[in-house]
Amino acid sequence: MASETRGATDAWSRARSWLGTLDGSLFGLCVASVAVAFGAGLLQVSFGAYSMTILEAWQAVFDPKVWFSVQAWQSFFFGAELPELPKRTLIVWNIRMPRVIVAVLAGICLAVSGAIFQAVTRNELASPFVLGVSSGAGLTVLLTLVLFSSLAPFLPLFAAVGGSIAFLLVYMIAWKGGTSPVRLVLAGVIVNMVFTSLQRGLFFFADDLGVVQSALAWITGSLTGVGWEEFRIAIIPTLAATLLALAGARQLNLLLLGEETASSLGMSVERVRFMLSGVAILAASTAISVAGIIGFFGLVVPHIVRLIVGSDYRRLLIGCVFVGPALMVVADVGARLALNPAQVPVGVVTGVVGGPYFLYLMRRQEQMGEI
Amino acid sequence: MSQNNTNSDGIATANDIAAGSQSGRRDRPLVGDDVVLSYSGTDDPVIDGESIAAEPGAVTALVGPNGSGKSTLLKGLANQLEPDAGSVLLDGQDIQTLETKAIARKLGLLSQESTSPNSISVEDLVYHGRYPHRGFFDSVTEEDEAAVERAIDLAGCGHLREREVGSLSGGQKQLAWIAMVLAQDTDVLLLDEPTTFLDLHHQLEVMEIIETLRDESEITIVVVLHDIEQAARLADRMVALNDGEIQARGPPEAVVTEQLLADVFEIEAEVSATPHGPRVNPIRARHDGDEHTTGDDTAEPDRAEEVVAE
Repeated sequence: MASETRGATDAWSRARSWLGTLDGSLFGLCVASVAVAFGAGLLQVSFGAYSMTILEAWQAVFDPKVWFSVQAWQSFFFGAELPELPKRTLIVWNIRMPRVIVAVLAGICLAVSGAIFQAVTRNELASPFVLGVSSGAGLTVLLTLVLFSSLAPFLPLFAAVGGSIAFLLVYMIAWKGGTSPVRLVLAGVIVNMVFTSLQRGLFFFADDLGVVQSALAWITGSLTGVGWEEFRIAIIPTLAATLLALAGARQLNLLLLGEETASSLGMSVERVRFMLSGVAILAASTAISVAGIIGFFGLVVPHIVRLIVGSDYRRLLIGCVFVGPALMVVADVGARLALNPAQVPVGVVTGVVGGPYFLYLMRRQEQMGEI
Repeated sequence: MSQNNTNSDGIATANDIAAGSQSGRRDRPLVGDDVVLSYSGTDDPVIDGESIAAEPGAVTALVGPNGSGKSTLLKGLANQLEPDAGSVLLDGQDIQTLETKAIARKLGLLSQESTSPNSISVEDLVYHGRYPHRGFFDSVTEEDEAAVERAIDLAGCGHLREREVGSLSGGQKQLAWIAMVLAQDTDVLLLDEPTTFLDLHHQLEVMEIIETLRDESEITIVVVLHDIEQAARLADRMVALNDGEIQARGPPEAVVTEQLLADVFEIEAEVSATPHGPRVNPIRARHDGDEHTTGDDTAEPDRAEEVVAE
């Protein structure tokens, strides 16, 4: 009995300590992010080749034929047969909606991954892209798509393997009795260059132009044509990576105090770094396996969140889980609808917007690098 | 240097410790036994086989000129640097065999330079000191809260607890970091030059914290100090290093002698006994030929000025 109460108070105090992190700025950020993601998502499902009004789109989104149909949910989550649905509902739910939802997952993954990498390397410039994870994962995904297309359901796994290899390479190159922000970034540039060349080389082994074009869209980072299948690929690794990252928030905070302090407080620094890097690689690989290499995202989002909520990782990670999806959905709306009827890959939008934003950050901050 | 190793009041000498009986060593919370310490990438060890034992419940100060190996010895004792040979015993157990969190529950270390994100609050920083007492999924317990309160109170930084670390002065930052290691609630505390770079007010505050800890708790403290007079005033025992070798050890009056200052610190100085311990009045830096009358190429003139100002 006594232990039960203690368990309950323990759970309560844990919940309270997490709620305690939800103060004004973080709460506002989360609410604003949800609103932005919702608004952009609504735009995304309303417009397109098959035109409908916003009202009709709303009706389709809240169509009870979907919400109360077990069969529909089974089809989304487990790939079963879709039930009979009205045409508008079908277009919204089967074509436009999964794209929004996959954008949400990819946004979470990339933001969380970038945030973890920045703490593990204690380097503001770190991101899955800079550390070579993206290009490594990209290479293995491309190999799978071009040479072994039947293995597509295992894409996140292959992507994670490629990302890990590239990350280890970068670390080995940068290691000289420790690493520095600049050494890591330079090592990342080297590994990126090699892996990107290998990716380009793969084009020449593609059988037809269609494969080349989809591979190209994929290298740039694109959500065009994603459906519930990509959702099913990404949902479990996304949830796992997010929960693991939140569980590791205290370790990440301690890493920010520097290796020496962390180890004198009893942390096995290398082991914790290694495991958290694994979580970050998993997250980045998940996003890459469904959406390709979306540049700048993992670098910029944690920056924006840090400016608003500070560097406490409990708050920072929660912020990333909300801001990442919002910005990704917005970017994808731009990619799909800005030049309507032509679509551009979402990676083009994040690069074009993210690059100058990063430049602005760089000019504004006196010293860039260590967090 | 042998005259400095002899002692008149029963304080163990290097030889006593090295040859010390096993039971005598067990009593001591922290012992370095013939440790050889070096940094990777360099050939010669910084410390080449020295033994040291911390006096239980007392303050032991390591002093020596720049580059004498005092910080390196402290890192070795704190398990931050693995000895090439010899061993470090924490409560009689080889520190290498202990789990890292178990070490951190018994032994705290305040490094010379600590970095933190600017936006972290002092209170959050101090809570990090509880890390070794918490499991991976454990939330904050009442014990943690009590330890943090105690630490903040002892370090006298209650008025700073809501402030961001990035907005503090150097001295205030040091108090916050001291509160963090105090929250660790260890039996042994190692401090690496806790007063260097602080203004006089904060230097004295830090020294008062250490004195309070010695007087009101059983904690064993080993502190590296740059200022030999400060060390003499604070410590129960002093260990003087030069060039990686322990040159003298014992109570301050036995260690701080004109001969030692000449040999280890290469200064000519007058030492006079005061109620606060020996007082050092530096006169000039000594050179090999000893033909100069004023020091002009070492850090010692700065030190002289500081001591005079005090």
